[in-house]
Amino acid sequence: MMGSQAAKRTGRWKSRIASELVGILGAEAVISAEDELIAYESDGLTGYRVKPVFVVLPSSAEEVSRVVKLCNREKIPFVPRGAGTGLSGGALPNREGIVISLSRMNRILDVDIPNRVVVVEPGVVNISVTDAVSAEGFYYAPDPSSQIVCTIGGNVAENSGGVHCLKYGVTTNHVLGVEMVLPDGAVATFGGMTPENFGYDLLSLVVGSEGLLGIVTKVFLRIIKKPQVVRTLFASFERIEDAGASVSAIISSGVIPAGMEIMDNLSINAVESTVGAGYPRDAGAILLVELDGPGAEVNAQVPAVIGILRENGAVEIKLAADESERQLFWKGRKSAFAAMGKISPGYYVQDGVIPRSSLARVLGEIGDLGKQYGLRVANVFHAGDGNLHPLVLYDPEVEGESEKAEELSGEILRVCVDAGGSITGEHGVGFDKKRFLSLMFNEQEIDTMNLVRCAFDEEGLCNPGKVFPTPRTCVEPGMRKHGSEAPSPKEMGELF
Amino acid sequence: MSYVTELSKMVSSFHVPGSGDAGPSVPEFGFSPQIVLYPETVEEISQILSFASRSGIRIFPFAGGTKLFLGNPVDEVGAALSLRRLCRVLFHEPSDMVSTVQCGMEVREFQKAIECENQIFPVDPPLLNTGATVGGLVSSNLCGPMSTRYGTCRELILGVKAVRADGEIINVGGKVVKNVAGYDIPKLMVGSLGTLCVLAEATFRLYPRQHFSRTLVLGFDNHVSCSQAARAILAADIVPTCFEILDENLSSEFGTTTQGAKRTILLRFDSFEEAVVEQIKEVRETTLGETSAFVEMTDEISRDLWAAAREFPFLPGVSFSSKLTLPVTASVEALSDIESSPALSGVDALCLSRPARGVTLVSVSGEDEQAVSAACFLENLADSLGGRIMFSGIRRELREKVRAWGDFGDALSLMKNIKQRFDPRDILPGEKIFDADRG
Repeated sequence: MMGSQAAKRTGRWKSRIASELVGILGAEAVISAEDELIAYESDGLTGYRVKPVFVVLPSSAEEVSRVVKLCNREKIPFVPRGAGTGLSGGALPNREGIVISLSRMNRILDVDIPNRVVVVEPGVVNISVTDAVSAEGFYYAPDPSSQIVCTIGGNVAENSGGVHCLKYGVTTNHVLGVEMVLPDGAVATFGGMTPENFGYDLLSLVVGSEGLLGIVTKVFLRIIKKPQVVRTLFASFERIEDAGASVSAIISSGVIPAGMEIMDNLSINAVESTVGAGYPRDAGAILLVELDGPGAEVNAQVPAVIGILRENGAVEIKLAADESERQLFWKGRKSAFAAMGKISPGYYVQDGVIPRSSLARVLGEIGDLGKQYGLRVANVFHAGDGNLHPLVLYDPEVEGESEKAEELSGEILRVCVDAGGSITGEHGVGFDKKRFLSLMFNEQEIDTMNLVRCAFDEEGLCNPGKVFPTPRTCVEPGMRKHGSEAPSPKEMGELF
Repeated sequence: MSYVTELSKMVSSFHVPGSGDAGPSVPEFGFSPQIVLYPETVEEISQILSFASRSGIRIFPFAGGTKLFLGNPVDEVGAALSLRRLCRVLFHEPSDMVSTVQCGMEVREFQKAIECENQIFPVDPPLLNTGATVGGLVSSNLCGPMSTRYGTCRELILGVKAVRADGEIINVGGKVVKNVAGYDIPKLMVGSLGTLCVLAEATFRLYPRQHFSRTLVLGFDNHVSCSQAARAILAADIVPTCFEILDENLSSEFGTTTQGAKRTILLRFDSFEEAVVEQIKEVRETTLGETSAFVEMTDEISRDLWAAAREFPFLPGVSFSSKLTLPVTASVEALSDIESSPALSGVDALCLSRPARGVTLVSVSGEDEQAVSAACFLENLADSLGGRIMFSGIRRELREKVRAWGDFGDALSLMKNIKQRFDPRDILPGEKIFDADRG
């Protein structure tokens, strides 16, 4: 079946589809030359590469809709793509499909300060939203580390977080509505200018759906007031466990910091060797605590937090005296991933979540796993919400080491799930982690997710081959495909 | 064997209405189930639904039964399924500030259970003191004044254990505050009124108890001053836990100290004492020249006031209550639109806006004809302001003319598709949300 369908994808077929795409979008918005397609072979997870048949660059929801309708008619799988900064292979092309890049839909459509809403197209870069409202004293809270390049469409797909989501939440808490092209090409709007809605919460399904439920063409974002005061504390500890205990104690005391970040000794030294943030090289761990809000509140919180840090064994505590010192504190943290490149020729970034209470145990287990595999693991994490980013260091020139690093990364996810956590806190499941979804959910639970997917995309053409560990059909809700059974035409989307 | 007999064998406790046995009291359903089932475990619920889906027996899940006035009336069902015996806190890890609770537990009891750790489950739903349960809270997503700071149940829910209409038990979401693995099914359950799954357990994010609390009651001689002040408060560097605007009638109903004022603003701050004091000062300066009264209250003195705000607009004996979801600025102005409308001149209307949430709540009492006109006006108002509307507690005589739900817009067909996928035989009464004659 697969073969017969593939056989139809002849040169003649390709030129016919190309001509239709050009008719919809214009020649400059359709890419089919092999050398130009290379740029779209992967997203930020460059270990996986697939060349699509076409890449298209629509400029409006109507154009997206017409392309998707064409895909439906021809049973062509399609993959939405933002800036391509994702780290789970969520925008990995399909070898017989079309990549729909939203990069040209990059306009800020409306800035409504009184209603605290900014309406944007999906290709708008995250930081541009804050730039557009900053002069009015507002900002857009989700701040993934790639915020100077990643786009809102991708943030919606991945439900992106950042260092400040402990207090302010992730993307789903800041999206009031979306206009989207559904997998059949229809254009629909869910939510909008209102903070609350009625009926089934489709918006919550769309945010974080990793591009499997349609293509978002307009997003209504909630903006919030910039905090009156921001104070950042730096603390060093002999033992990482004490840094972890401080995090729990701070929150239990009634203080919810804007962000709390921990780096272990290996990360500290990597950072010091590159950007020289002034972190003590001999510290077991450092903790950054950022407090923000009304001045009086923050001023009351600072001494309380300092007291807690002391009680939990902080060796050194520094309160940033001014903005430049604050930026210096953050410089090291923000450079941590890149700094790994200085101490290791290759590294694998993992993204797992654990309950805060199991921090010390899990870090111990990760350390043991590193020893067992003979690989170093650096730990940098959003400590407040238990979102770990272990960095597994390896040498790609050493035969078998990259495979070992990947295997170790998988083992780390098992440890996270065993501790009661999740396989992903902000990078998404995508292509890379779909094999781990069943660590968290049984077949009935994954089938339930498939019910949602089928409600949106019965044909299975929208970003197939992602999230779900095994291909699933919509013919009988929840049914999985087994062995080599011939798929029905409705399953074709999964196979391209 | 009748289905009533079959079902009764699946649980240790049940009641057959009209059998002569005095069973536990049940709410006024508005329909007559043949049997009321009281499962004690998730597995029992699974068995019931598995049998029901095979046999085509419709099941009505409920817990406290305090919010039966929400949504469309339910047609006949075979059995009612009470969650009241699933009423325990299953998990509470104080250092993670996460707790899992069974859905039959009363919200108030759950809040008491966790407060010993100096933590709060920051919701104040209507009917809190008269039996509102965790399951009802999630299913209805009705939240009170504290949603200004903490959001609704949607922002607090992390995971659910639920039973699908076909009897499959699913455990979705998680027990950590950050998790993007798979679709967010827990949020899909929020506000679904029990039409997709029977909720057995829910896991929530908790918050730390704040040290100090103060309430402000601000009176205004006219709506212009009030709107001005409300906009200034929204723009100020303050973080109120609660922020409500009352019209004159409601203010009088609540017995606020600003009686006679055309508008009243209620604010509550919870934080460190010095931070609360500073924020009150900021409000005073921000609203200077606008207020006719400025009263500060301790937590204890303001308790009844907040309880009244929490319960509004779900008052007994009214023609209907309504909730409008609007853009933020529209919710500030909506009170004036409502007050000045001739369509509401023949009824008694009470109004409250919760600006940070874009919510305006209205209760209407009056003759049927006038009440219908008022409902039409409110529906048009919500539409013209770019919002949506929900009616509840609709007097029986009005139900033909006043529908529970306004327009769902583009979402309707997908909502129906989801319902069809989750529950193709409509075992869990979908008519709560979907009007039969709207296709």
